[in-house]
Amino acid sequence: MKRMTTILLANPLSLLGVLLVGLVVLLAVFAPLIAPFPDHRGAVVDFANFNKPPGWPHLMGTDVVGRDLFSRILYAYRISLILGVVVLAIAVPIGVTLGLMAGYLGGWWEYGLMRLTDVFLSIPPLVLAISIMGVLEPTLMNGMLAVTVMWWPWYTRLVYNITRGEKVEGYVLAAEVIGASKTHIMFREILPNCVPAVVTKMTLDLGFVILIVSSLSFLGLGVQPPTPDLGSMVAEGAKYLPDSWWLSVFPGLAILIAVFGFNLIGDGLRDILGADR
Amino acid sequence: MTLVLNIRDLQLAFKSWSGTSEVLHGISLTIGKGERVALVGESGSGKSVTARIVLGLLQELRGVQISGSVEFQGQDLGAMPDRERRALRGTAMSMIFQDPTSSLNPVFKIAPQFQEVLARVTPGISMSATRVRATDLLREVAIAEPERVLDSYPFQLSGGMNQRVMIAMALANRPALLLADEPGTALDVTVQAQTLDLMRALVTDHGTSVLFISHNLGVVREFADRTYVIYRGNIVEEGPTRDVFENPGHPYTRALMAAQPKITGGGLPDLVEGDRHYLEPRFVHEGVA
Repeated sequence: MKRMTTILLANPLSLLGVLLVGLVVLLAVFAPLIAPFPDHRGAVVDFANFNKPPGWPHLMGTDVVGRDLFSRILYAYRISLILGVVVLAIAVPIGVTLGLMAGYLGGWWEYGLMRLTDVFLSIPPLVLAISIMGVLEPTLMNGMLAVTVMWWPWYTRLVYNITRGEKVEGYVLAAEVIGASKTHIMFREILPNCVPAVVTKMTLDLGFVILIVSSLSFLGLGVQPPTPDLGSMVAEGAKYLPDSWWLSVFPGLAILIAVFGFNLIGDGLRDILGADR
Repeated sequence: MTLVLNIRDLQLAFKSWSGTSEVLHGISLTIGKGERVALVGESGSGKSVTARIVLGLLQELRGVQISGSVEFQGQDLGAMPDRERRALRGTAMSMIFQDPTSSLNPVFKIAPQFQEVLARVTPGISMSATRVRATDLLREVAIAEPERVLDSYPFQLSGGMNQRVMIAMALANRPALLLADEPGTALDVTVQAQTLDLMRALVTDHGTSVLFISHNLGVVREFADRTYVIYRGNIVEEGPTRDVFENPGHPYTRALMAAQPKITGGGLPDLVEGDRHYLEPRFVHEGVA
């Protein structure tokens, strides 16, 4: 673990990724302390300062109702990170378990589970999320639900393929021979061999989840105003391009930094863990 | 003589979409207590599936038809529920494989893998107790630095070391029957010879019966008390190893013996594929090993 960290930090691109993600996490955690106008995260109107270009005291300018953009981006980061973590925390265990079952148990489990994931994978992810959000109320909870539903099949596929390969390895047979239970073999023998690939994919996916949630919000289906969200901020600001460019450029940059950082770390991890499958 | 393993008229067929393929056509084989028995044959003759049936691994698959009886220490394995059959694995019977390195899980050190094996008999055994026990077991297989080995990953050890670790694990719970499926085939010849000597000494000490599956006649001759020759799912010859080797009675056995490459040269002799004489009834050497 220590050695891994050293290698990760020795690679300039991964180091940049770690720094960017570290910055984003710090900004999100300490948002109430850093934000110059913490109350601007909610429904505040300040027409005296509306649509100001970047300057002092509004570092990134203000939006059309006079709220400080910088403060709102910090709070939007919080929501994005929480969303990403919650979505993965639900989708990954489900996807990994089903993948292990399909790969190891075989037979009808394999047919059933893999065809089910095929059904999910055959629908473009955003379309699936949009249809779920269309049926349900567009709230934060439902947004997480929609993204989770479209996310687990990718882990099922990944783990299924690794499990198929590991299943025929001698150590699995050796475990069967000493009478280990199926649960033990799946979770204690095979799963540890899937961890590198899963961790790598999770890091890459954190960026994608943020992006997808932003896309949903951009379409008006994600986080609802006045709660700040990077995607909806870009969408709202786009109406005033190119004159009030700061309205969408800064939230866009914020998305870029977070996604870019997670992707750089993911790539670095993939090189280290040899999870390039 | 009490029989540890008694296989009578074992038939096996795999059923698939395209029909049924018969693999074993009535195998009978017995192993007495402390006896080392070899099952010799070419690839695909049914050696390994026989071992898997004894372990009860094939019975759990779909599309497998098995008839005949397999008795282990007087109990009929076929009549036994899966759960009881599983309880026998790793306790009363264990197995050693061809490739020792891949038989150990690459992501765990040796010590926790030992813990799992020992926990089959002593559930919830502590890590410190495991280390004490495993150190003794590793010393038995002539590993000089058991502490270092316990803290190593399988890929940090040589193939010969891993093989000895596997033997130590297989014998850890003092099984009555050890199935050895071409052990050491993946190792070079000198290491293979060393580990086989070691294994023979250990099973003799513990009175463990061995079913030794191999296509390597030289190794079988050294190791086994009795030998069965299997060809296309039929036992074609059986008897004390010495008799089978010095006086092979079945045409297939003679062809198999003749197919051994000689160190004096003369090229690799051919084993004639599918000679009709190979299907003659089994040849039994009377006599005691």
